[in-house]
Amino acid sequence: MAQQLNLTIEHREGVGSTKARALRKDGKIPGVLYGHGSEAQAIALARRGLDDILHRGARTSLITLTMDGKRVDTALLREVQVDPVSRRIVHVDLQRVSADETVQARLPVVTVGTPEGVRSFGGVMDVVLHELEVEGPANKLPDRIEIDVNELGIHQHVTAGEIALPEGFKMITPAENTVVAVEPSKTEKLLEEAAVSAVTEQAEPEIVGKPVEEPPAEGVPE
Amino acid sequence: MLTPKRVKWRKVHRGRMKGRAMRGNALTFGETGLQALEPCWLTNRQIEAARIAMTRHIKRGGKVWIKIFPDKSVTKKPAEVRMGAGKGNPEFWVAVVRPGRVLFELSGVEPDVAKRALQLAASKLPIRTKLITREEAQA
Repeated sequence: MAQQLNLTIEHREGVGSTKARALRKDGKIPGVLYGHGSEAQAIALARRGLDDILHRGARTSLITLTMDGKRVDTALLREVQVDPVSRRIVHVDLQRVSADETVQARLPVVTVGTPEGVRSFGGVMDVVLHELEVEGPANKLPDRIEIDVNELGIHQHVTAGEIALPEGFKMITPAENTVVAVEPSKTEKLLEEAAVSAVTEQAEPEIVGKPVEEPPAEGVPE
Repeated sequence: MLTPKRVKWRKVHRGRMKGRAMRGNALTFGETGLQALEPCWLTNRQIEAARIAMTRHIKRGGKVWIKIFPDKSVTKKPAEVRMGAGKGNPEFWVAVVRPGRVLFELSGVEPDVAKRALQLAASKLPIRTKLITREEAQA
């Protein structure tokens, strides 16, 4: 369940990549605070403080922001930009949100149990959607959506509309979208056959816009 | 092996491999994946070798995604041929990989099986790679 977290932010003077890079060198992370009709504000926050609240479920919890020792706002973490190689956080987006406000959020999907189709028939469970978009009160956002998949057989699936949400929440993801499916598994032999046919099929690719030259028909006198 | 079915041009410029992968740098389908840490041209033979190593290890069950495609032709002049007289013939196909690119994804297998399968796949590749998981991406 959502929990109250605290984060100390400070006003950021300069904007742009050079200033942001210097800030990161000092152990801080550049960010932006927006929402509630007021202008977007460039902020900076301590890397350690952010790491700490991220490990306590800050992605879906309401965060109390403190600036110069005073409580300034409550906000939701809307985006965390991460360097794809070093995995270090490079920027964060915070949206001002009051506790009783209705917000839309993307929540991670977690499956519970092993499907019947996997246990008894050797199928494969495929999580098609890893996140679902829901709407509900900001202070009650769950940190994840759990789906019980124990009963799922081969060729069966769970759609977004079938998932039970906590009281006061509404699903935004279209109800007909498949979230989890169980498919029959391809055997090793089938995969090998597919690979062999792929090798034999290989030829010079067709050139777009160039007519295919047809070989002359046999037995036709010139 | 992976090759394009149709192309607009048979021969293309070599290009550059500066910077990092700006797209295809996160897990989209699977639970675990293999991420490139160096830039390179991955040939269709290398991709195929990695795929076979992975699927042989996981035997049955599980699902594999190959997230790169060799769509760039590489030309070569025959041996002992003097320079000039035009560009050589297309010899093989490569995928241009920049650091951060997720090469393969796996799902539906136990974490230790997935880890070993991706290690075997990584040993078929000419670059340093890193194993990534969905849990650590969400943490």
